Amino acid sequence: MTVVIGFEGSANKIGIGIIRDGEVLSNPRRTYITPPGQGFLPSDTARHHRAVILTVLKEALEQAGLKPADIDCVAYTKGPGMGAPLVTVALVARTVSQLWGKPLLGVNHCIGHIEMGRLITKANNPTVLYVSGGNTQVIAYSERRYRIFGETIDIAVGNCLDRFARVIKISNDPSPGYNIEQMAKKGSQYVELPYTVKGMDVSFSGILSYIEDAAHKMLSSGQCTAEDLCFSLQETLFSMLVEITERAMAHCGSQEVLIVGGVGCNKYAEAFKFCIDNGAMIAQAGWEMFRSGQVTELEDSWITQRYRTDEVEVTWRD
Amino acid sequence: MAAAGEANGGTGKLESSLDVPFPSSREATIALRSLSPDKEPRKGGISKLITVSGSTLSRWSADEARILRVSVNSFLDHLSLVMETMEMFGPPVAV
Repeated sequence: MTVVIGFEGSANKIGIGIIRDGEVLSNPRRTYITPPGQGFLPSDTARHHRAVILTVLKEALEQAGLKPADIDCVAYTKGPGMGAPLVTVALVARTVSQLWGKPLLGVNHCIGHIEMGRLITKANNPTVLYVSGGNTQVIAYSERRYRIFGETIDIAVGNCLDRFARVIKISNDPSPGYNIEQMAKKGSQYVELPYTVKGMDVSFSGILSYIEDAAHKMLSSGQCTAEDLCFSLQETLFSMLVEITERAMAHCGSQEVLIVGGVGCNKYAEAFKFCIDNGAMIAQAGWEMFRSGQVTELEDSWITQRYRTDEVEVTWRD
Repeated sequence: MAAAGEANGGTGKLESSLDVPFPSSREATIALRSLSPDKEPRKGGISKLITVSGSTLSRWSADEARILRVSVNSFLDHLSLVMETMEMFGPPVAV
């Protein structure tokens, strides 16, 4: 029996989860939500996490009905993500790891999403579409690495959605993407936007500039509604993602797609709570890594804003 | 006594030091090992050294007051989080 606690706080969600052999015992989380029209900045986000992290840690233990002695390993997000929030969370993870005398494990955030997706869906060897506010990658497992087959060459798809939400000043509660999705349902007119697939990769910053400009012109002249723009943006972005995912599936001969990351919540409400950043996904990846013999020494436990998915040796799969 | 330091171009025109007492040298070492792994976000103009001997001592040198202030402020925020964590989830288990 192996019990792992996972700490996640690389963006605006702070979550701590406990997993015992594939069972999620607890997974409390808090989200830092900014007013409409504003994004979240690193220092404010870190401040938010710092204010709640110890309370969330207590909740995680209480809801799981466990004491620190019952934990076998402390996993935390090493990266990628925003620097200041990552440090805040790593500090607590390192400290409790030493207080409780438990080994520490630095986890790649993207791999956390993938391992949680594999646990929940029990998919055999899917092509993974990882889409969030910070990341957009098409990933397939091959020979001990999660290989990146395609990715964004500039901003993440979720970043494009979030920044468009700011332009039309819709609420960030519960998330800008969720509110865009609700508005898109009421859209009736398709507005043509640039379609920018580049081979195996995608680009979103051009679409963002275009739609920001279009929003100012077309909304004030009444040519279309904000709902129409939300609808058109979603259609364009998701078609592009489908194209690069299909291309990767054709290369790999794979029949299944696993969608992970916060943007995966869109239309896929079932695994909702695990798509959004959470502590249990870090615990799950940590569980796999720990059982295959990996450990992070304190001196090597520094956080990093850039951390490629294919940098990690996937020692827990053949 | 344990030490962890990093020098990334600070020429040492301005200096600051901080001595933080801990209940035991074990706890001071825990704090040191939690606080030292991350590199200073700023690539140049600041150098920070943290050592432990009984309590935790930190020493900075920086080119400009502004850079020094930011580094010391961040350190104090981080230190207080580590200390709160130790208070809530300590004492450390017997080795």
